[in-house]
Amino acid sequence: MLRFIVRRGLLSLLILFLAVSLMFGMIHMVPGDPATVMLGPKATPEMKAEFSRRLGLDQPLAVQLGRFYAGLARGDLGEDPFTNREVTVIVWEQLPYTLVLVLVAIGGASLLGIPLGCFSAIRRNSLLDRLTAVMSVAFIAIPSFVVALYLLLWLAVKWRWFPAMGAGESGNLADQAHHLVLPAIALGLGWVGYIARMVRASMLEVMEENHIRTARAFGLPERTVIVHYALRIAMLPTVTILGMGIGTMLSGALFAEIVFSRPGIGKLLYEAVLTRNYPIVMGSVLVTTGFFVLSTLASDIINAMLDPRLRERQGSGE
Amino acid sequence: MSRKEPQIWPGISRRTFIQKSSLVLTGLAVTGVPEISWAVHGDTLHVRNYQDLTSLDSVSSLSAAEGIISAAINQNLLRFKPDGTWDTQLDAAESFEQIDETHYAFRLKKGQLFSNGYGEMTADDVKFSFERMVDPAMNALNRPDMGPLSHVDVHDRYSGTFVLDTPYAAFIPVAVAGPSGEILSRKAVTAVGGRFTTEPPCSSGPYLFKSWQAQRKTVLVRNPQWTGRKPDFEEIHVYAMPDPKTAEMAFEAGELDCAWISVETVEPFKQNMPDNSSIRVLPSGRNYWLGMNQENPALTDIRVRQAIQYAVDVEAVVEAAWFGLAKVSNGPIPEGMVGHRDSALIPPKGDPEKARQLLSEAGVELPLRLRMDVNSDSLELTAVQVMEWSLRKVGIEVDIRPQDNSTFLTIGREDLGDQWRDVQLFMQSFTGLADPYYSLTWFTSAQLGIWNWERFSSEEFDRLSDQALATTDPAARSRMYRRMQDLMEESGCYRFITNSVMPQIYRNTIKPAFRADGYTMLREIRRPGSGS
Repeated sequence: MLRFIVRRGLLSLLILFLAVSLMFGMIHMVPGDPATVMLGPKATPEMKAEFSRRLGLDQPLAVQLGRFYAGLARGDLGEDPFTNREVTVIVWEQLPYTLVLVLVAIGGASLLGIPLGCFSAIRRNSLLDRLTAVMSVAFIAIPSFVVALYLLLWLAVKWRWFPAMGAGESGNLADQAHHLVLPAIALGLGWVGYIARMVRASMLEVMEENHIRTARAFGLPERTVIVHYALRIAMLPTVTILGMGIGTMLSGALFAEIVFSRPGIGKLLYEAVLTRNYPIVMGSVLVTTGFFVLSTLASDIINAMLDPRLRERQGSGE
Repeated sequence: MSRKEPQIWPGISRRTFIQKSSLVLTGLAVTGVPEISWAVHGDTLHVRNYQDLTSLDSVSSLSAAEGIISAAINQNLLRFKPDGTWDTQLDAAESFEQIDETHYAFRLKKGQLFSNGYGEMTADDVKFSFERMVDPAMNALNRPDMGPLSHVDVHDRYSGTFVLDTPYAAFIPVAVAGPSGEILSRKAVTAVGGRFTTEPPCSSGPYLFKSWQAQRKTVLVRNPQWTGRKPDFEEIHVYAMPDPKTAEMAFEAGELDCAWISVETVEPFKQNMPDNSSIRVLPSGRNYWLGMNQENPALTDIRVRQAIQYAVDVEAVVEAAWFGLAKVSNGPIPEGMVGHRDSALIPPKGDPEKARQLLSEAGVELPLRLRMDVNSDSLELTAVQVMEWSLRKVGIEVDIRPQDNSTFLTIGREDLGDQWRDVQLFMQSFTGLADPYYSLTWFTSAQLGIWNWERFSSEEFDRLSDQALATTDPAARSRMYRRMQDLMEESGCYRFITNSVMPQIYRNTIKPAFRADGYTMLREIRRPGSGS
């Protein structure tokens, strides 16, 4: 297992390096002058030149990238040229908002989607199964931003059950949780359908397996067969998808952060790209890519823990 | 044999939990959740800002988003009146007078205290605040606002004199009453290393800076040491909300008291106004125009440019993009400001027949295909689509190229390559200040390839630009600025569109206050009936 984790960890680092380097190149290739945007119309050409020097923009791209990684090795992602605050501080300030949103969204989607998928598989072709199928497709098909807008219109504007903007008062957990409900539903609703469909399909496949028939033949209670034998195996592809889902949601949280005016890494990155604030862009990209890679790695490890065959195959280098 | 129920909490079994929670949920569904009001609470005012802060320091603050906040926490010698004009009134100064064309004397009110124990405001603080703006070592972004300011002579603890190298007509509205003229404490700013960004070390205005949370909000609190009229709110929460749609929803949800909204929402709001609310459509300082690069081979013939001027139906553009809320512009200088023209040389509706005639005289083979760059903003995209329609009627086909703002801002820049040569038509906009010079300074020859993307160059214009800035007689200045706008229009490089509007929605539980360019004046917002 340790060998498996080490191999996957190294691969993840390589992916992170490639993704961040690629992003670095892409951002700098997009036209636009950070000095013009950041310094405004009154800045003199000398001020702009000095600004570019300070950001290292007058250096070749390879040198800039090298400096970025050298800084990264020291834990220094540079300074925001607007506010002169450290990029690491800015990114770490925003990250928890997005992480909590993503975890609550995916957690909620799993809590609903897994049992729905399970019941659908067990009661195949029943009314519940058909209803779940229709709802799942509907949840997947409706764009998240549409869900967000309608949630806002009904639950925040019309009935005022939930707040329409912000992330709640710092230090007030109940207030923060209240502010989290609508964005988490908007972000996670599509995943409910997705998870339910996936669990249902996997369960149906697993329920036909010999070991399930054997378990039943041994007279094990149906609940034990389903939860301990069928669901455990059926969860494997779902765990992989959930791992990727967390990563995807980290960047997908942007719409929820904009619509609900929440702080977060998505909004930070979006605004930084618009203003060509390269240090912030790179800091945000590094963190989101890092979490994407981490969540994928975690899902691989969980899969290996759930499925000994995978562990053994990976351990033996197959 | 009975099986023991699994406990999810001491004393609560899973079955019990499901039963109880189902009952509660059913009860709520039947009776409805009681409406929770998120509206204005007590003594706190909730206001939208159109972007987040970057710096509250006058040397480096960049936008009105910062000016809105810094004007509430700082004092100037003079400040703008909250009556929608650019007229000024005394603020920290007890008296302020112009001695001659290059000298202005001031006397501070006594007993005005900086927060955080930085003591009383003195003439030396005024000297520090202004001289740091012109100090080359500070490399102040807002240095141009100070014009030819040389130095400040301090006479005693409360009085002093500004000394200018040459006359500067914009000294009062831009340098003294504008955000660049905010008075900071020498001791406090020096203590933090000479400059700051989002954490001002102290302030002296009716409100104090309490906190700033990136991408969320800035909180201001009532200044207990303030000796002037007591501010009406204990706290002001200023939310960074770049998206107007989000702000509109938040207002409808009762979470904001005042918000700048988009023009397309005004009519729907008026049809279905949120409870206890009003809308005011205010003039804006943002000037929009269609620019033409006269050095592009397709546009070197002035008759082609004039044909485009005559082809564009500005009334239709304003009606479509600004929903008829804005007025057609007669030039970059807005109404109510020295130098505003009563009419443009080219009629707002244009003259398609004359446009065709000019194209024919120029020997242009039709259809003439031109490229039009534009910021990818929905309002501007609508405007250029209407222009495209106007131009097509005279045989000019336009290829619209929307670009994000950061890219768009570089298209005419000479120092970034040769892309400026390909620029043909573009829709541009710019926000002015409290003096007309700022609306026209971007079109001088010195700005060629910087902000002057039309490549408009006129000796007379340049000369008048310098003269008007150094002339303090309003009538003479007005004549000069009007002539400058005529020259711009005669060059064929510009088709003025509008000076735009800024719609603001607010609760009737407040008495809002706005500047002449539509921005909120936080310190002047009152409760109804609390006096002016």
